[in-house]
Amino acid sequence: MVAIFALLAMILKLPIGVSLAFSALAGSLLGGEGIGLRHLIEGSFGYFDTILIIVTAMIFMKVLQASGILDTITSLLLRTFYKKKSALLLTAMFLVMFPGMITGSSTTAVLSTGALVAPVLIKMGLSKVKTAALIAMGGILGMIAPPVNILVMIMGAGVDMPYVGLTIPLLIIVVPLAIVISLWLGYRDIKIIEYEKMKAVLPPSYHKQYGFRLYLPLIVVLVLMLGQSVLPKIMPDIGIPAIFLVGSLIGLGCGRPFNFFKATQKAIKESTPILCILVGVGMFIQIMTLTGARGWIVISFLSLPSIFLYLGIATSMPLFGAVSAFGSASILGVPFILALVEKNAILTSSALSAVAGLGDLMPPTALAGIFAAQVVGEPNYFKVIRHCLMPALFELVMGVGVLILTPLLDKLI
Amino acid sequence: MQIVYNLIVLYLVGHLIWYLFREKKFWNKVCAVLVLIMFLLRLFLIK
Amino acid sequence: MKKIRSKLISSVLLLLTLVICFLSGFKFLSMQKKEDVFPTEGLTSKKMLSSYFQTLKNTWGDTEVYIYEGQEKGGNLLIQGGAHPNEPAGFITAVLLIENIQATKGKIVIIPRANNSGFTHSDPQEGNPQRYSIETSAGRRSFRYGSRLTNPIHQWPDPTLYINPAGQKLSGTESRNLNRCYPGRKNGRLTEKVAYGIMELFKKEKIDLAIDLHESAPEYPVINAIVFHENSEELAALALMELQLQGFEFSLEFSPKNLRGLSHREWGDNTQAMAILLESANASHGRLKGKTSPALILEGKDKNYVKAAKLGRLFVPYDEEGVPLKLRVARHLAAVKSILSSFEELHPEKKTEIKNMPSSNEVRMKGIGPFLHPPN
Repeated sequence: MVAIFALLAMILKLPIGVSLAFSALAGSLLGGEGIGLRHLIEGSFGYFDTILIIVTAMIFMKVLQASGILDTITSLLLRTFYKKKSALLLTAMFLVMFPGMITGSSTTAVLSTGALVAPVLIKMGLSKVKTAALIAMGGILGMIAPPVNILVMIMGAGVDMPYVGLTIPLLIIVVPLAIVISLWLGYRDIKIIEYEKMKAVLPPSYHKQYGFRLYLPLIVVLVLMLGQSVLPKIMPDIGIPAIFLVGSLIGLGCGRPFNFFKATQKAIKESTPILCILVGVGMFIQIMTLTGARGWIVISFLSLPSIFLYLGIATSMPLFGAVSAFGSASILGVPFILALVEKNAILTSSALSAVAGLGDLMPPTALAGIFAAQVVGEPNYFKVIRHCLMPALFELVMGVGVLILTPLLDKLI
Repeated sequence: MQIVYNLIVLYLVGHLIWYLFREKKFWNKVCAVLVLIMFLLRLFLIK
Repeated sequence: MKKIRSKLISSVLLLLTLVICFLSGFKFLSMQKKEDVFPTEGLTSKKMLSSYFQTLKNTWGDTEVYIYEGQEKGGNLLIQGGAHPNEPAGFITAVLLIENIQATKGKIVIIPRANNSGFTHSDPQEGNPQRYSIETSAGRRSFRYGSRLTNPIHQWPDPTLYINPAGQKLSGTESRNLNRCYPGRKNGRLTEKVAYGIMELFKKEKIDLAIDLHESAPEYPVINAIVFHENSEELAALALMELQLQGFEFSLEFSPKNLRGLSHREWGDNTQAMAILLESANASHGRLKGKTSPALILEGKDKNYVKAAKLGRLFVPYDEEGVPLKLRVARHLAAVKSILSSFEELHPEKKTEIKNMPSSNEVRMKGIGPFLHPPN
């Protein structure tokens, strides 16, 4: 299946999603399962919710762009931070992380506040690809940071561990990483610029024309997202896709007038190749499970001698993230927690979530990488991922380090 | 809430079909079709 | 010319989409057809869960409740299967009881498909077959292999974060897991309503003892287990001794107080019933499973699990013989019987007497088929 995928994607240059779908079909035929139409379609449904989030987030992003909201906020942030390097970087990092922290999804983070922060960083002298790398890492760190870490929830569900008492362990992992990574990626390149120069790169601000209501779509989206986790009893949980659409519709009347239909078409055009990758991966995984290939991979990693167990975790979990970080948490995370059963499960799952989260950088899905590239307008997302390598290594070391030091941390906390 | 989500999917199905007819590249059309299958099955509450 | 060609290609692709939707949709919808269950003549009444909680009427959450009542009054027992429709031993054990038993004393209430909606679809990316078949004395019967969760077309969308009726924070998909939704919500989501309906049944049928039949993956720590609420500690210990005498190894697991929304916790906390949950080992819903097929469900033979057992990664013994469905059902039957007799020992006034209960040894030796009613 992998060979067929490589043939289709690399030699025939078919879109990655289509190549995945065809190689899944071939796998089904070779595995003696026939065309397996039901299996192929069923597999793709594993990503249905993610796909809805992505499309609606893209629509929201296009609305922010078309209405001039994005420009205005970029201009505001630039005016505030043009003198302070580290403050700018740390604020940018936190802003990107924030939606991820409350939704548990890196995609949401990259596509919402990531899109806000990107133009600012680029204007301050950070290259496109490094900006994208920072946003991608911010999305991943946001996904791992408390209060909502879905990766831990998924692993917890597999071992009957309630989602309680995770805030401190997760902060121990995320806070140092957020500081180190944002400074590592940005400190050298960001330039302190003169007021005049800053003014020259300032995008147009529509604040004077439209006033406070310009910020309304963003505020509504953040309040609705935050409300779901902070005040679950009062705030209606309408789900992320509906939140993005509500925000988009509000955006219609808050800034420059624009055509909503065209904004949606743009969003569809830009997101379809990515959605198609998810559909293809879903099909691929379903056939891998059906033919026993998935189980074989998991058992192979579990068969590693115990000294290599940590190495196995450090390699297999991000690699499996090519399917999805959530899939990696469920399929590998749970067996690994069980393999480390003598350790504190809260710390183990927190550390494993940091490792699994890196899966969002793993091609072909590489959700965080792909969207970050799209946000900055970089057609080749591999360039972005290259700049994420070092930060990813920091995160990996942190995750595995916490895993190894679990007994010590257990006493400290 | 289910009705709202059905409407969202309906809106997206409309856009995907529009995109399918506007897009010129064949493989991009195939991409749209793969996504459209899922949306249609959910729209009619089949899967 | 080019434009017309492009539109033509689009039209053909759209047509192809519709054909694929039709063909696969037909397969998906086939899961909505229920398998027959043939109760014995001893059945006193068959109700729907909606008769305990009206709101469930005409929803996919409504499900059959089979009641066997003896002439003499005694204890009231609830046996629940199919809370997780991808754990077939629970469902099949309930069906075997419905198709064989008679009550002479007390009342036995059986819900074979507790999460009815979960039987109508399969989990994406698990590669599971839609059905498996068992040979009876006169023909094959086929049963659906469903999903752990309620069908998303019946309950959609999932919340981002699910806070269950007992206040536990869970990932959003768990809002469709019946065994995380207890004690249910009257005006909640469909799965919560089903849980609420079951709690209403407890009240109206005055259930004294409730057993929830499950299976788990062999790599899961709580397995081949009797999970008990603190109100059933003595009962579980007595039952375990009896089972050990019969050669069945079980572990006793205390229902954790901070793990909320599960049947053994909320049934025990919110009703007068003693609550117990049983687990057996099902390779077909494990993460290490090899080729997925009906044979894996029925015979439970899997090379990956043999390997995992040798690596010390499992919580149950697993060898080349596998853990077949007949053995898993036999274990459930043996445990139900032992729990009943231990309950009688503790509460003689609440005795339940069941005739023609399939013997676990016979099921283990002869298989499930001989105890199933032949298909119509």
